Amino acid sequence: MLGYQNNVLRVDLSRKECKAEPLNMNWAEKYIGSKGLAIKYLYEELKPGIDPLSSENKLIFMNGPMTGTTVPCSGKLAIAGKSPATGTICDCSIGGHSALNIKYAGYDAIILEGALDKPGYLLIENDKVSFEDASSLWGKGSHDAETALIEQYGHDYSVLSIGPAGETLCTMACINSDYYRQAGRGGMGAVMGSKNLKAIVVRGTGGVKIPNIVEATKRIAEIERENTLLEDNTFVFDFGTTAFLEACQDGGILPKNNFSDATDIDWTKYNGDVLLEHLQGKRGCGSCGLGCGNFLKIGDVVCEGPEYESIAVAGPNAGNSDPVAIVKANQVADNMGLDTISAGDTIIWAMEMTERGVHDFGIRFGEMDKYIEYLELMARKEGVGAELCLGVKKLAKKYGGEDYALEVKGLEYPQYEPRGSWGMSLAYAVSDRGACHMRAYAPNEEVFAASIPPYTAEGKGEMVFRLGQSNAVKFSLCICDFWATLDYEIMAELMTLVTGREWTADDMADVGTRVLNIARAFNQREGFSAKDDTIPRRIVNEALSTGAAAGQKIPMEAFEDMKQQYYAVLGWNADGTLPESLLATL
Amino acid sequence: MKRLKFSKEKCIGCQLCAQACSATHDGVFMPSRARIGIESYYDRGGVLKYKDAYCNLCGICFKNCPTGAITMTDKILVDHPTCIGCGTCAAKCPRKVVKIIDKKSYICDTCDGDPMCVKVCPQGALQFV
Repeated sequence: MLGYQNNVLRVDLSRKECKAEPLNMNWAEKYIGSKGLAIKYLYEELKPGIDPLSSENKLIFMNGPMTGTTVPCSGKLAIAGKSPATGTICDCSIGGHSALNIKYAGYDAIILEGALDKPGYLLIENDKVSFEDASSLWGKGSHDAETALIEQYGHDYSVLSIGPAGETLCTMACINSDYYRQAGRGGMGAVMGSKNLKAIVVRGTGGVKIPNIVEATKRIAEIERENTLLEDNTFVFDFGTTAFLEACQDGGILPKNNFSDATDIDWTKYNGDVLLEHLQGKRGCGSCGLGCGNFLKIGDVVCEGPEYESIAVAGPNAGNSDPVAIVKANQVADNMGLDTISAGDTIIWAMEMTERGVHDFGIRFGEMDKYIEYLELMARKEGVGAELCLGVKKLAKKYGGEDYALEVKGLEYPQYEPRGSWGMSLAYAVSDRGACHMRAYAPNEEVFAASIPPYTAEGKGEMVFRLGQSNAVKFSLCICDFWATLDYEIMAELMTLVTGREWTADDMADVGTRVLNIARAFNQREGFSAKDDTIPRRIVNEALSTGAAAGQKIPMEAFEDMKQQYYAVLGWNADGTLPESLLATL
Repeated sequence: MKRLKFSKEKCIGCQLCAQACSATHDGVFMPSRARIGIESYYDRGGVLKYKDAYCNLCGICFKNCPTGAITMTDKILVDHPTCIGCGTCAAKCPRKVVKIIDKKSYICDTCDGDPMCVKVCPQGALQFV
């Protein structure tokens, strides 16, 4: 199939050797690229039960057949490995321009194996690959390291780097690229740190071929006009994800004070209207059509974003309404190489523990100077940070406060309160990498579009499957979530244009289901089952007191009902495992 | 005469322009070969900057070509049999948008008055007016 480079760079960090090998096209036929294909490689190549932070884990950087083409929103890169935060499979979708540079350098994927014996970085210039010393970069912030590397190599290079959090193997460590884009969740930065790899620096000057390229490019441009640049999608250019703030406040799913409520009376103090007054410019990823990135400068603080998740966790959920503190927290977390969601959730849990007298972590709601200070302490594992970097699940086991611990499988909750969007509790529970809002975005249907009643279990298994299937294939095409109107028909047409092989809408749906199944199969092999698809106690026990969802909590029976619906739609066993017949199809 | 016009405040740095250019002219998505190079980047992470290499039909390449290989009407055309690949056009181009590949000069020909880069530009940062 065209579109692919049919070339994988396999890097043995222990031996400082690398070799190019053909992409497994049998697997590509079934899993396309990015998320799905990365998970397939890991399913086949990782031994069950390995320590995610050992040299036995692999870290895969996978693009797809559309990467580097004019297919809109196709510039994302999957970064995948076994998660040290959860023990599950974990794939992240990072923006920026690194996916394009990897593809133009001639690779569908980079597979990192083993570990360097001392800090280094990988330099890739087309088919030239070298192992470079990173002793002068070790300890530096991720942004600071990127600046040093870009000054050395130039702006045409992409840098994927970790901060101190990755170096200290903090399980909420992310990987950054283009400064403000993250492979945020599940600790992929710690996996990179465990390999003593500070950065990948990559520049590609080659190209990507597809069939009948002139006519195909014209047709893709039409699809861009007719479907990508619709108002349903272009709001992200106008507002970025700050738009979700108002929608979540109105829908009563904006978490406040560690998810103790779901509206904030002060939300207009830090909403998009306030933040975008400080807009310096717009930036999207490579091949993007939408340009969600808002580059802001407030005082001496800059960031691209902040995104809804980072606003909500360091805003209302931390008892804070100061936008400068929100942006500062985002900037520090990024530079330290910390996932803003997991790190933020851990701090706000600690705030509540102090307030309730469960354990004094020395921080209370609204204390943003400490919030920002704690981020750096967590990344460096110093002082109280050495405890907090354990994350909510382990901390609650150790200190108490499990009634207020919002996590699934050890991954902290995103900032969409499920009591106002019941399907989201299911989406968090059955997500392949722990509590994640990117796997099945239930609020869109239950709250924003209000097309499905939010406070009921009815139909939620089917809904979460449908949304999850769509995102699973979208992320396997390496297309961004923000192209929300992309359906299977268009996906199939794009795949046909790019690969030269006929794809149908049904094929795309089948890929989505297969990706859901193989991710589940990976986790099943690691011992996960229905017992791990959990809902936090707070969501079951405490009713919300304000907003559109006031009075709502999710009864355990309703949650279990949703889970069984979901398993049934997928043909899974009642205990959440895949039957042999499905395992055989992977 | 219509020319390319670039508004950086609308640019999101997606590089679709260079991808479409190389696809149309060279049969491959390959920005390094494109006759347009518009990108944005964060300088030291703190300032958003733009590279805006595009042909605005200033004609300097045409005026300085020593062999007469370059002609200019409402677009630039390079006659490759006549071009000796001396690189004068590239050296003189004020926007550094001329590519010399295999000793031949490649310059924007406006896709014969219907530039593909403009068609794919998602936010209207590139116009042909």
